[in-house]
Amino acid sequence: MPASHPTVTDPVVQLTEVTVHTPRRPAPLLHTVTLSIAPGERMLLLGTSGAGKSTLLHTISGGIPHSVNADLSGQVLVNGRDTSASTVVDIAMTVGVLGQDPSSSVTMSQVDQEVAFPLENQGVPAAEITGRVQEALSLVGAAHLAGRGTSTLSGGELQRVALAGTLVGRPAVLLLDEPTAMLDAHGVTMVRAAVAAAGVDGAAGTAPAVVLVEHRLDELAGPAGLAGLPPRTVLLGDGGVVLADGPTVAVLKEQAATLHRAGCWLPLEAELWAVAPAVGPDDAETAPGPDDESAGRGGAPIADVRGLALLDSFAAPSGAAATLRATPTPGRTLLEGTGLSVSRDRVRRRTARRPGPRILLRDVDIRLTAGEIVAVLGANGCGKTSLLLTLAGLVDPAAGRIEGQRPGLVFQNPEHQFLRHTVAEEIGYGLPGSAADRAGIVAHRLAGHRLEHLADQNPHRLSGGEKRRLSLAAMLAHDRPVLLADEPTFGLDRRDTLATATALTEAAATGRGILFSSHDLRFVAALADRLLVLGDGRLLADGPIEAVLADADLLRTAGLTLPPLVSWLLHRHPGALRRTLHRLDTAPAVDPVPAVVS
Amino acid sequence: MTGYLARRNPTVKLALLFAVSLATFFLFDPVTPAVLYLLALAAIVIGARPEPRALAAAHLPLLAFALGILMVNALSRPGTVLWQAGAARVTVEGLEVGAALGARALLIGILSFGFVVCTDAVALLTSLYQHARLNERVCFALVAGYRMLQQLGGEWEVIRYAQRVRAPLGRHGQPKAGPARFGLAAFALLVMMVRRGERVAQSLEARGLGRGARTVWRPVPLTSHDGWFAVAVLGGVALTIGVSVLAGVARGPSALFGG
Repeated sequence: MPASHPTVTDPVVQLTEVTVHTPRRPAPLLHTVTLSIAPGERMLLLGTSGAGKSTLLHTISGGIPHSVNADLSGQVLVNGRDTSASTVVDIAMTVGVLGQDPSSSVTMSQVDQEVAFPLENQGVPAAEITGRVQEALSLVGAAHLAGRGTSTLSGGELQRVALAGTLVGRPAVLLLDEPTAMLDAHGVTMVRAAVAAAGVDGAAGTAPAVVLVEHRLDELAGPAGLAGLPPRTVLLGDGGVVLADGPTVAVLKEQAATLHRAGCWLPLEAELWAVAPAVGPDDAETAPGPDDESAGRGGAPIADVRGLALLDSFAAPSGAAATLRATPTPGRTLLEGTGLSVSRDRVRRRTARRPGPRILLRDVDIRLTAGEIVAVLGANGCGKTSLLLTLAGLVDPAAGRIEGQRPGLVFQNPEHQFLRHTVAEEIGYGLPGSAADRAGIVAHRLAGHRLEHLADQNPHRLSGGEKRRLSLAAMLAHDRPVLLADEPTFGLDRRDTLATATALTEAAATGRGILFSSHDLRFVAALADRLLVLGDGRLLADGPIEAVLADADLLRTAGLTLPPLVSWLLHRHPGALRRTLHRLDTAPAVDPVPAVVS
Repeated sequence: MTGYLARRNPTVKLALLFAVSLATFFLFDPVTPAVLYLLALAAIVIGARPEPRALAAAHLPLLAFALGILMVNALSRPGTVLWQAGAARVTVEGLEVGAALGARALLIGILSFGFVVCTDAVALLTSLYQHARLNERVCFALVAGYRMLQQLGGEWEVIRYAQRVRAPLGRHGQPKAGPARFGLAAFALLVMMVRRGERVAQSLEARGLGRGARTVWRPVPLTSHDGWFAVAVLGGVALTIGVSVLAGVARGPSALFGG
């Protein structure tokens, strides 16, 4: 046996005293990180944005020091080989990477070609490739997509194909970098099942070790709760140091307040631990077992009884919820669409040879009044974005008419919106008025959206959350009576999601009407006054939040799934959904009292 | 894409396109390239069945280009004056050479059109890698670029929407447009594509492209049919030129110098 082959007990990844510096920053991105991962082990990597999670993944994949301009000291061994002495292409034989944006990781135009590509590069005989491509696609539940063109797939389908393309090479290590960040609830479910399947030893050989970086832990964990997460967690702190490394439940219990304060998303159990450390089992390591599926605990979102009691107390009408926004009384109508038909095809005169446009939505009546916040829900591809573009006057309706003043629109991908070279210029783009007026507005928006320190930065160089804040600030700078927003919290951490909610609430408080689309039903339930549900090519419902969300048939028709927390609150505390979520969102983190050893 | 031409090997088709174009570089009479153009047109209509509208649309720029060449040569070449008005004069030699070059432009144009309508871009690149030994990094970077190209239209549309929604209104209540705004949007698109290109390049490398000794899972076939196809095309061209020479119609580069 060649010496490079590790024995079963050797770690598949071994980092020793790894420190990473970039020329642009004096502080290290990673600082003396020592870490080992056993074959087949599953690990969750947590940390605030900028703590070095992506850097750590890059050092394992060989991107550092080979592709990224950064200095690495210490030693990184992958499958027993020093990464500095190998090439990225060689390391790729052992390490598979799945990123958050499948549209740039999928490079072929046919699904099966895409999955076959790494095998072709490895020189696997063509006869063997056919079987392995089928096997990898079946593993992620995408066998039926084999003959499809990659440009025809939804985000969830594309991400599964990308995962198949990663697993087909039978990597010893699988790096998952926020694999669900850009997916809707259905896409997350798809990817969760695929990742779970990939982690089981099977026909494809030994399961790879998995390192997972993920914002949306509740969604990814699914009904199993904490038990659905990798059993081990490594927490990176500011400056790229390892703050904690141990069993997931124990690390979360101990660090919940720190993570909560830093603006990270946490699984619901850990979120409750953060705001009330007394909650939760005494022996955290024996907490929720794998059998605690939501079905087995009466629909409760978590197994922890004390956590449920805390939620009950949040639902109680007493207590100070001064910051909770009251449902506004209907003001004057700002925007009204009557009998709208929505289509993305250019609306032209129909001729004998030219068929009419493909209609996405028919007979939609929409009214938006001053001061209200309305959410648009619906499965991927139901026409939410097209409806917003139509209401914004950017796409002509195929039928019907729209009345009201010119609305503003914030786009789903902020990068699409950036037209200038600095943050300040971007906010000033297209503003009417004198130079002094414009400068005043820009300064006001920079301050209001925590962007002052970035005023001279290039918009494309910002972090995801900063980009989103900028796109919102740039649109709000135009004093339009109606603000439309397409998925304004996509891919944001907890702090930026709450900041977005605050910005929208403040805009509504000044008499604007807000209409936004979202997949995040917890966010919607905490913020919106009214819901519009799209599906089946029409407007299925228009009504108050709780009435709409409690209609199970409606949700099924629209292809929507309630998060366990929202579903449980609707049944247990009708009428208190928004209050409860608001208290949960705004409750401050409390540090745990160190246990007294007697 | 169906039909006889669509089933031919892309590298063979590309090589024939070059070979026929090259052969016409030595023809300076109008008749031979015109006959070759008609033959090529017939072969493409039968073998690739293009949509009549697409065929007509492709001819518009070709005809304009050919007409331009004809005019320039007719008016500028010295020789026997056929018609004169003031400083403008048309010569017989100018007309002949102009018509020859115009017909050549039409021929090369229709061949290129035929090639594009019956060739899948990915199959072309795979075939170039297999049969023309194109470097794999170049080849698959182009394949990935082709996918990015497919996404380009959608990205452009959204960028223009995003720009229009913030643009000040003009006199008629429409968002202002103009070359400067168009340039800004084009630059935004460029920035996005460069950034995406970077990610795509990383992704190709992370999947082992460039390790050497790669296999091709689904090779693009190169069969005896392709051989017969090449023989037929080259034979047809040779025959046409031969007949033209025997009939005394064909003229070489000497036509340029009044020979």
